[in-house]
Order: sequence, then C-alpha cells, then structure tokens
Amino acid sequence: MTKLKLHKETIKQLLELKKKRRINLEGNILKLIDTTGDVELKKYVDDAINEGKAKQRQRLDITKKIQSQNKELLVSQQENEELMSQLQTALDDAEKAKDAALLDLDFLQKKTQFQLIQTIVRISLTVIIGVGISTTVLYLFALSVDRDTELIGNTWSNMFGILLTNAFSIIGTIMGVKYANKDSK
Amino acid sequence: MIESIMLVDDEDLFHLVFEDACSLLDITLSLEALNSADEAEKMFKNWFENGPIKERPECVFVDLNIIGSTFDGIELIRRINFQYGDNVVIGIISSSSEVSEQSKAVQAGAQFWIVKSDEIEPRLEEFLKDYDGYKNKTATFKVYK
Repeated sequence: MTKLKLHKETIKQLLELKKKRRINLEGNILKLIDTTGDVELKKYVDDAINEGKAKQRQRLDITKKIQSQNKELLVSQQENEELMSQLQTALDDAEKAKDAALLDLDFLQKKTQFQLIQTIVRISLTVIIGVGISTTVLYLFALSVDRDTELIGNTWSNMFGILLTNAFSIIGTIMGVKYANKDSK
Repeated sequence: MIESIMLVDDEDLFHLVFEDACSLLDITLSLEALNSADEAEKMFKNWFENGPIKERPECVFVDLNIIGSTFDGIELIRRINFQYGDNVVIGIISSSSEVSEQSKAVQAGAQFWIVKSDEIEPRLEEFLKDYDGYKNKTATFKVYK
C-alpha cells in the first residue's frame, strides 16, 4: 500500500497543533503516513492511533450495549405479542364456555318447565280419571239398584265426553311440547 | 490487511460495530457499508458491465436476511458469483447458524459463515488468519462461531 510522505513544514504544524490545542489527525489515514526516519512524527502517529483506538473501543462497547438492549427490547416485544395472543385465546375460550353455560342453563330451564308440565298433566289426568271412575261407579250403582238413571245417565255421558276431549287435548299438548323440545336440541 | 471490504446488512448499529472492530483489528482501511442487497447488486452489475473492475471490493460480508431488500443474502452471493464475474472473497455474516441455510450458501458460492454475536472480534481475527486461503480459493467453507 502506498504510504503518504508528509512535508517537514506540515509535520511541524501538526506537532504544534497537538501541543497547543490537543488536536490530532484521526482515523485510518494515520495508518498510511510514512514515519520512517522521523522519531517525533512516529510518536505523534502512534499516540494518535492509540488514542483513536481507545475512543473506538469505548464506542464499540457502547454500540454493543445498545445493540444488546435493542435485541432484549425486541425479545420482550415478541413476548408481549405472544402474551397478547394467549390472552386473546383465553378470552375466546371464556366466551365459548359462557355460550356453553348459557346453552346448559337454557336446557336446564326447559327441562324444569317440562317436569312442571309433566306434574300438572299427571295431576290433571288423575283428576279426570278419578272423576270418570267415580261417575261411572255412581251410574252403575244407580243402574244396579234400579233407580231413576235418566239424569245421571245424561250427566255421565256429557261428563265422559268432556273428560275424554280434555284428556286428548292434554295428551296432544304433551306430545307437542316433547316434539318442540326434541327439535330445539 | 484486506484492501477493501463491503458489508451488506440492514442493521445500522451493526455497521458501527463492524467498522470499529475492523479498525481496531487493522483488518482493512477501506470499508463500505450498505443497507440493501438491491443496492449492492446494482453496484456489482455496474462494475461488471461498465467497470472499472478494480473498484470492486476485495471481500464482501453479506447478512442472511436483509430487511427492505427484494432478495436475501444467499441470492446476492449467487448473483455476484454467477452473474457479475465472481473474483471476490464473499460470505455470510449472520446471527443465524442454521445448517440448511449454510448448505444453501455453499451452493451459491459462499466461502465462509461468521456467526454474529457480542464477541465479533475473535471471529474476525480467526477469519483474517484464513483470509489468504479464501483469496487463493484454496480454503474450504468454514463457519466461525
């Protein structure tokens, strides 16, 4: 590599500048200066190179520190994003669980309603059958003891008609409710 | 000492680290740092088509993933070696050390792979010792980690 040969006057000015104002040449240009045969210039160049290297070492350490902090920041940013994504997943899961719970509650309510209807129907049917049986027994008794059966006969047939109609109506309602529940599932 | 070096890396902070490390270790006097593979390709294309060829850097360090470029570091190495006249020492400098990527780099003509870390100087020193082998094309692909 070609070395730079400095003029004596330039060397003198450089040395004076360093002495009076502590100003040095800096950078790679120093490595290109030919110092052969000039002890003073060699010392100037060596000192300037060493000073430059010390500054560079300092700057390198700081830059590395910043670089490592940047990497840490990037990692924590990624971790944050991951956490946010996990949070979103948990939120979605909670939403799904809530929907399932609401569905269960709805099913439970329907089940309770159905049980209530069943109880009402059972009692109603018991009453209907009871009234039917007791009226029939009374009618049969009147027939067997040969009493006037015209009034009780009409009453029995009217009552039996009404009871049968109501019974079928109730059975129809039960079937309807059952069918509706089956569909909604 | 290497005559001239080109660094292609999207990370500005690494430019400073690399520049200081090269200066402290007296690796080179002339270093050009670029942010994009496209820019580097443009320069090599120009040197190849219009010259002067001697303006090309002697050694090129390429990052693997160069954000903001239309292609990655391995592709840049392939283009320099196969389209723009080769004749430079070229390799990857990356924080990645994936073996599959390394074999792709070898196929593209990469001569070395330096793994980036906080302690880059010892790796560069080791690289410098092997440099003549890369220049003479006698050294085989090596990973510095």
